[in-house]
Amino acid sequence: MPVPGVPILDGKYPSSMDLYPLEAKEFNRIHQFYENLRQKRFTTTKCKKCGHVPFPPRVVCPKCNSDDLEWVDLPTQGKVLQFTEEVAGVPLGFEAPLIHALIDLGEGRKLVSRIINCKEGQLKEGDAVKLAVFDIPPMIIEKKGGVMDEAKRVFFAFEPVKR
Amino acid sequence: MPERDVCIIGGGMSRWGVREASIIDMAQEAAKECFDEVPALKKKDVDGLLFASSYCGRRSFQVNIAPVIAERIGIKPTSMCTRLDTLCAGGSSGIILATGLIKSGMADVVVVAGGEKLYTPQRWETYYSELASIDHDWDGAQGMGLPPPYFSMTAQEHMKRYGTTKEQLGAVSVKNRRNGSTNPKGHFQKAVTMEEVMASRVIVPPLSLFDCCPITDGCAAVLLTYEEKAKELTDRPLVYIRGTAQVSLHSMSMNWPGEHLADWLHLRTAAKRAYEMARVGPDDIDVAMTHDCFTISEIVEMEDLGFCKKGEGGPFVESGQSDFGGKLPVNTDGGLLSCGHPFGATGIRQAREMLHQLQGRAIRQVEGAEIGLTHNLSGLNVEHTILIYGREP
Ligand SMILES: [Zn+2]
Repeated sequence: MPVPGVPILDGKYPSSMDLYPLEAKEFNRIHQFYENLRQKRFTTTKCKKCGHVPFPPRVVCPKCNSDDLEWVDLPTQGKVLQFTEEVAGVPLGFEAPLIHALIDLGEGRKLVSRIINCKEGQLKEGDAVKLAVFDIPPMIIEKKGGVMDEAKRVFFAFEPVKR
Repeated sequence: MPERDVCIIGGGMSRWGVREASIIDMAQEAAKECFDEVPALKKKDVDGLLFASSYCGRRSFQVNIAPVIAERIGIKPTSMCTRLDTLCAGGSSGIILATGLIKSGMADVVVVAGGEKLYTPQRWETYYSELASIDHDWDGAQGMGLPPPYFSMTAQEHMKRYGTTKEQLGAVSVKNRRNGSTNPKGHFQKAVTMEEVMASRVIVPPLSLFDCCPITDGCAAVLLTYEEKAKELTDRPLVYIRGTAQVSLHSMSMNWPGEHLADWLHLRTAAKRAYEMARVGPDDIDVAMTHDCFTISEIVEMEDLGFCKKGEGGPFVESGQSDFGGKLPVNTDGGLLSCGHPFGATGIRQAREMLHQLQGRAIRQVEGAEIGLTHNLSGLNVEHTILIYGREP
């Protein structure tokens, strides 16, 4: 499809406009996080030397500088501490209501994440939510000889646990 | 070389708003006003340029913009010519760095400028580009780049914990829009009533339209030099940079440093350091420009900057303590809520207003102001930056 104003971009993949991470192993050393996500696992890196388990995952331990890390599972279910529902002014790439929640994952871990599969006015503080994994558009990588390779991608949000 | 005391001697702004102009055009407008304020300065005296812009790479397709700006405004830097990006605090970062360069003798006369052209020809790109402003792979991909949802959670927490009311949020907007109504450079020149604020359309509950600063195009510029040179260049009272701090304790939504979202440990950490360096305390501050990106932000800032007790920010603003005639007037030029927020320019806008306040020539003058504080928070509340200015070094 031609791009108005910039016809030279016809059919090209402008990664600088890509909302999602460049997850492919050619571009990302924590590629494994997304592979695990595909298996419905929510993971991060644990330092084998000092035991530190930061999120998001790293390639070097921020505490002791070791690069000897292993993948470990985080809880995939949590409790909503606080949330907001954005109905107007939702940016391109997201649908209204755009819901974000501060989630208590247990183990002293909280994170802010998007809540999907949830209607406006449905979520309440204290609700249980679980990891939701979904497909996102592939990134297109130029390989030797100009061959275009589609690297499939997934991303995550959380969704209400059906009562 | 012994350390030198550093002064700010001139300031300028382009007109801010939805501008029919490029970032390069607006940088020239701001620099012109800045140079016009210091007629004794010759452009060849300027040896440094720091230009703060976060979005020129994305929305103006221009990285390494500093040499372009230097050429357009007619200066030939010899000590430093660079761009910097701290999003909302870029301008203040530039002033801190220029202070260090001049104090140490590595530079003599530095223009610190900054700004953004945020409105793109199509509106989707204006909003979509905001998603680049935070941790891209984790928070941007969750759709958290537009800040209202996050600050709505901060407001909810403050209301629940301390009983802060929607009217108290509104009081910040009414005050700042009134202050900005006489500022010809700001985005808005229209005061709003509490009734209008309370009736305005909801953005993300509890935040309504007038609780949020607008998206704004604009540039600003200030001129810094050492004390002796400042005395040569201007007959106006000298205004010194006395204390600075910039604190970052986390990067993403997961690793928030405070006890809760209305507890800004990184701001308190910055305030402690800046006050110590300036050898003053919160009670010594006569006037402040704090980062009112949202009304709730200014309320939390009153607390964590030490102007009132934790949890009392709501009553503090509602009772007029941050207005003229109160404990210390805050955002006397209208703040972000009235002037708008072209990220890299905001800290410079604050510095310009502080210069005018401490020289006794502001449009809305705080009588006898001698010590002032400016503050920025940046990104999804990931960083706090403070500068303290004074009539004495
Ligand atoms: Zn370690």
